[in-house]
Amino acid sequence: MSLRALTLLQEKSPDALVEQYTDRSGGAWGVVKPDSLRQVMGLVKDDPQLDFKLFLSIDAVDRLQLTDSVPRFEVVYFLYSVSQNEHLRLKVRVGEDAPEIPSISSIFQGANWWERFVWDFYGIRFAGHPDLRRILLYEEFKGHPLRKDYPLRERQPLIPERPIRDIFRGPGTSGTA
Amino acid sequence: MSESDGKKPPTPAPTPGGRPAPKHPGFVTVTVDGKELVAKPGANMVDAVKTVGSDIPYYCYHPRLSIAANCRMCLVEVSNSPKLVPACQTPLAEGMVIQTRSPRVQESQRAVMEFLLLNHPVDCSICDQAGECKLQDYYQLHDFRPSRLEGEKILRNKRKVLGPTVVLDQERCILCTRCVRFMTEVAREPQLGVFGRGSAEYIDTFPGKHLDNNYSGNTVDICPVGALLNRDFRFRARTWFLSAAASVCTGCSRGCSIFVDFMGQDTYRYRPRENESINKSWMCDQGRLSYKPLNQHRLAAAMLGRGEDRREATVPEALKAVAEQFKALAGTEGLAVLASPVASNEDLLASLAFARDALGVRSVYVGGRPEGAGDNFLMTPDKNPNRRGLEWVARGLDLTLKPFSELGKAINAGTVKAVYAIGGEVPVDPSLVAQGFARLEYLVLQASNESPITAQAHVLLPAAVHVEDEGTFTNVDGITQRFRKAYPARADVKPHWAWAVALAQEFGFPWTQASARDVFREWGPRVAELATFDWDGAAPPLKTSRGLHPIATGADGRPPGYREFGTPRVRGI
Amino acid sequence: MAHADERQTDESPSDEDSELEAHLQTRRMMINLGPSHPAMHGTVRMRVELEGETIVRADPEIGFLHRGFQKSCESVTWNQCLPYTDRLNYVSAIMNNLGFLKAVEKLIGLEIPERAQYIRVLSSELHRMHDHLTCVGAIGLELGGFSAFLYAIEARELIMDRVSELTGARLTTTFGRVGGLNRDLPDGWIERVTKTLDKIHELLGEVDGLLTANRIFVDRMRGTGVITTQDALDFGFTGPCLRANGINYDVRKAKPYWVYDRMEFDVPVGQNGDNYDRYLMRMEELKQSEKMIRQAMKQLPQGPIIVDDWRIVLPPKAEVYGSIEGVISHFKLVMEGVPVPPGEIYDSTEAANGELGWYLVSDGSGRPYKVHVRAPGFAILSGVPRMIEGKMLADLIPTFDTINMIGGEVEQ
Repeated sequence: MSLRALTLLQEKSPDALVEQYTDRSGGAWGVVKPDSLRQVMGLVKDDPQLDFKLFLSIDAVDRLQLTDSVPRFEVVYFLYSVSQNEHLRLKVRVGEDAPEIPSISSIFQGANWWERFVWDFYGIRFAGHPDLRRILLYEEFKGHPLRKDYPLRERQPLIPERPIRDIFRGPGTSGTA
Repeated sequence: MSESDGKKPPTPAPTPGGRPAPKHPGFVTVTVDGKELVAKPGANMVDAVKTVGSDIPYYCYHPRLSIAANCRMCLVEVSNSPKLVPACQTPLAEGMVIQTRSPRVQESQRAVMEFLLLNHPVDCSICDQAGECKLQDYYQLHDFRPSRLEGEKILRNKRKVLGPTVVLDQERCILCTRCVRFMTEVAREPQLGVFGRGSAEYIDTFPGKHLDNNYSGNTVDICPVGALLNRDFRFRARTWFLSAAASVCTGCSRGCSIFVDFMGQDTYRYRPRENESINKSWMCDQGRLSYKPLNQHRLAAAMLGRGEDRREATVPEALKAVAEQFKALAGTEGLAVLASPVASNEDLLASLAFARDALGVRSVYVGGRPEGAGDNFLMTPDKNPNRRGLEWVARGLDLTLKPFSELGKAINAGTVKAVYAIGGEVPVDPSLVAQGFARLEYLVLQASNESPITAQAHVLLPAAVHVEDEGTFTNVDGITQRFRKAYPARADVKPHWAWAVALAQEFGFPWTQASARDVFREWGPRVAELATFDWDGAAPPLKTSRGLHPIATGADGRPPGYREFGTPRVRGI
Repeated sequence: MAHADERQTDESPSDEDSELEAHLQTRRMMINLGPSHPAMHGTVRMRVELEGETIVRADPEIGFLHRGFQKSCESVTWNQCLPYTDRLNYVSAIMNNLGFLKAVEKLIGLEIPERAQYIRVLSSELHRMHDHLTCVGAIGLELGGFSAFLYAIEARELIMDRVSELTGARLTTTFGRVGGLNRDLPDGWIERVTKTLDKIHELLGEVDGLLTANRIFVDRMRGTGVITTQDALDFGFTGPCLRANGINYDVRKAKPYWVYDRMEFDVPVGQNGDNYDRYLMRMEELKQSEKMIRQAMKQLPQGPIIVDDWRIVLPPKAEVYGSIEGVISHFKLVMEGVPVPPGEIYDSTEAANGELGWYLVSDGSGRPYKVHVRAPGFAILSGVPRMIEGKMLADLIPTFDTINMIGGEVEQ
């Protein structure tokens, strides 16, 4: 489906794609080097023949329990081109020691929150992100839950209550904190 | 037989000498599903094709038994025969082309499954084998069609007790004869046989005889269906819910490699693990039953005081009590240390190092389980898993070992007033030993199970068993094996090495070991035989099965205080 | 708003300015539209910094409804993921269920029977109407028009009655299985749905009359919550919010699935990208969905509703209790799960809020290795600060309404 786009991308930027393959269901994937990620994203957005302007999502896969588990993480990017009616699937492979890849939030504004999601749940840093903090979990959370070595029913340490001055606590207390 | 669509695989052209020259001299080269396979001559086809990623289903074949070729499930298409041939019985020939997934083969597999299931009772809901049953697995893979049977199924003896360990369901039996061949060839006691002829055949023991061999439990393991079942495990758990951890049996000093099947924090059974150098794929029935003390009569909390003064104590209280009493006695003859060869190498390393450094003892008394019967296959008379390990550790830490009888004499004479015991196993009747210990002024006991001796302890520290921690055992032949942790211990239970480290800290020593690995790295190099042992590398692979209800862990690895919903209370564990 | 807490920040303007300012002591006010707030659909916390009535900065904080969807799905079988998918976009649960199943079936490479496809289209459109009615009603409610809300909710209740007859539940439906559907249409259901659609048509007329040409409504909605097309694409807007900007992208037309290519329907496209256009998109889509449901009911063929392969689908109960093959298949499918071959897939359907994307990774066992849901609400919510920064506080409310952010799908 996005084979045309990948072929064009390969032509315009020959060593951006490390690998290209088609998955079981016919979707075409391109594997990008982390260093050329920004350049590739800029290219697919601005080039009129590619025109992938609709940013769909980013997510990561922890390959620890699959047969080939090195490098450990794969960050996947999904984009769509309205004019070409095509989906684009790219992925970047990251190892597990201090995983970090460039952020594309300066190219696509929507990437901001998705990259925070990947940081929150997988612990992959995005260099150049303006505000990389946890998005769905609270700040004091320890660990990155969607990693495969995080147990399903892990318990978190209790954290002290945040001091909110003007909250009303109801009868039996002194009213305000 | 009709010709299938597609061309016949090409037969290799014969050279003028007769046979084709081998492509790789010294090996046999064949083509399996288009992939090249280079195998040693004499390798069985069923095993060899696994190395290139092909799978041939089978029931009656077992790599360690003779070949029967009566199930016909492994039929494959080969180039040197117009008919399908059983892969387990066909020797690999140079240049052979094997097809394991051609339409003919698939149809044959489907037909064999259909025939096997024709008279198979509708028992999955009540059969223990569900979850590890080859009929189930192969049905989903090779024959997923509905039944065409329009009559009744044959009825046979449904729950015939063959012996103390095994119960037979003759309706489920597919007559692969693995059990018969095992008893004849491996256990060397032909207690099972096939009776009757043709479609009226059935497996049974001889009239008036029982299946009471010490290795009869292995027939349950190798039975591919739920015909032979273990009476001890019957109806206790669904195998889908069990998790498995690679471990070592502690029934005797052979140290057979096993899988511990557990759910939550209870062990349900032992299963043998392949180990070419120790137990091949077998284990004895006594070893299978040796898991029961892991669950029953376990100590859970530290106790202080004897008799009426006995009360539960917190861990810091107990440690302080021990330190108070022993600081005065350290270095004197009045303090004796009793070590049990049931403890792992790491337990012994830390405990005996504590005994030597903090308590100042120069010799250690050896406890352990009493001797039992042995045989000439796997079971040894010494029922302690780590006697060799204790000998090595004591030698490495410069301690002499003394037999248990001397401790009895010393207590009766009054020379020994206090005892620090690592492990509560004693080689004579425990009630007699308890009477002897009653004369002691102070007894500190680290034990895992309740016994008459634990009632005599002034300080009782609950110890973990081997499935609750990692470590190594050294068996009777000097082979050191690592075992993995299955589940964390309950409440205040700690392994022996953790108690030793905590006590040493109480005595003022700056010990910081936080895991069995730390203990081994600290003291292992001092023991000559263990210095060369690769602790990390010797671990069995971690990818054993995870049951459907993963064990709950807290942030520090301990489970929460309440019971998770997924672990049912089963009677009679 | 009576529910706001006031808190002072330390950002005071420099005092070297006029005496007047020193007297007035203006500071920016930080208002916390906290997670427990009627206008924050599903627990979202908006911290807005106000300069008078103007929003200088808006910072949404989400995660109060995070329930560990992905991690839970990784530990159960493929069919057991369905109840988790219900609770994503809980007002249109059937669309989540069927979207997930579509991705799984595509990963296996499975074609489902035609009747199943028609019923899937039918029920999806029914729940799309459910979602849009909730949204439109809530818009009316929060701008002060309570009656419009009641009409919309009554229409919604009628749909819920039909859905509960079909699936067994009002809200969290768990409809469908890998390979087709688990239940067929009940007797007389088609006639009841026809009557329901007629009644909804009336109610929709009432809502339309109350809101669409209403002076106050139009004044508050038109020109507020505007987002440029460039920004909309950048943030990842899809569905009615993107079409309100003039981009004609609907997955049902762009990459038709099931039997959408046999349905005649139009996709409304707006112009201005403001709240009013988004509202009009939903009103028009309600009418189109109604049209599609009527067509589907007319074209519905007879036939099986699930694939006949026992490797994927549970055998009929008579076989399960009566034959060994049936009970084996039942046990393996329930305990080990549908054997989805190893691989990955990205697939999407058009949910009520936009493109609902699924990225699934299978490792060959019966349990998912990874289930990533590309929630349309997540992307749209990330664009909300862009839409209201510099605008008035009162514009925040209709903006939040028209984007129809459903807490369940944003926070998984």
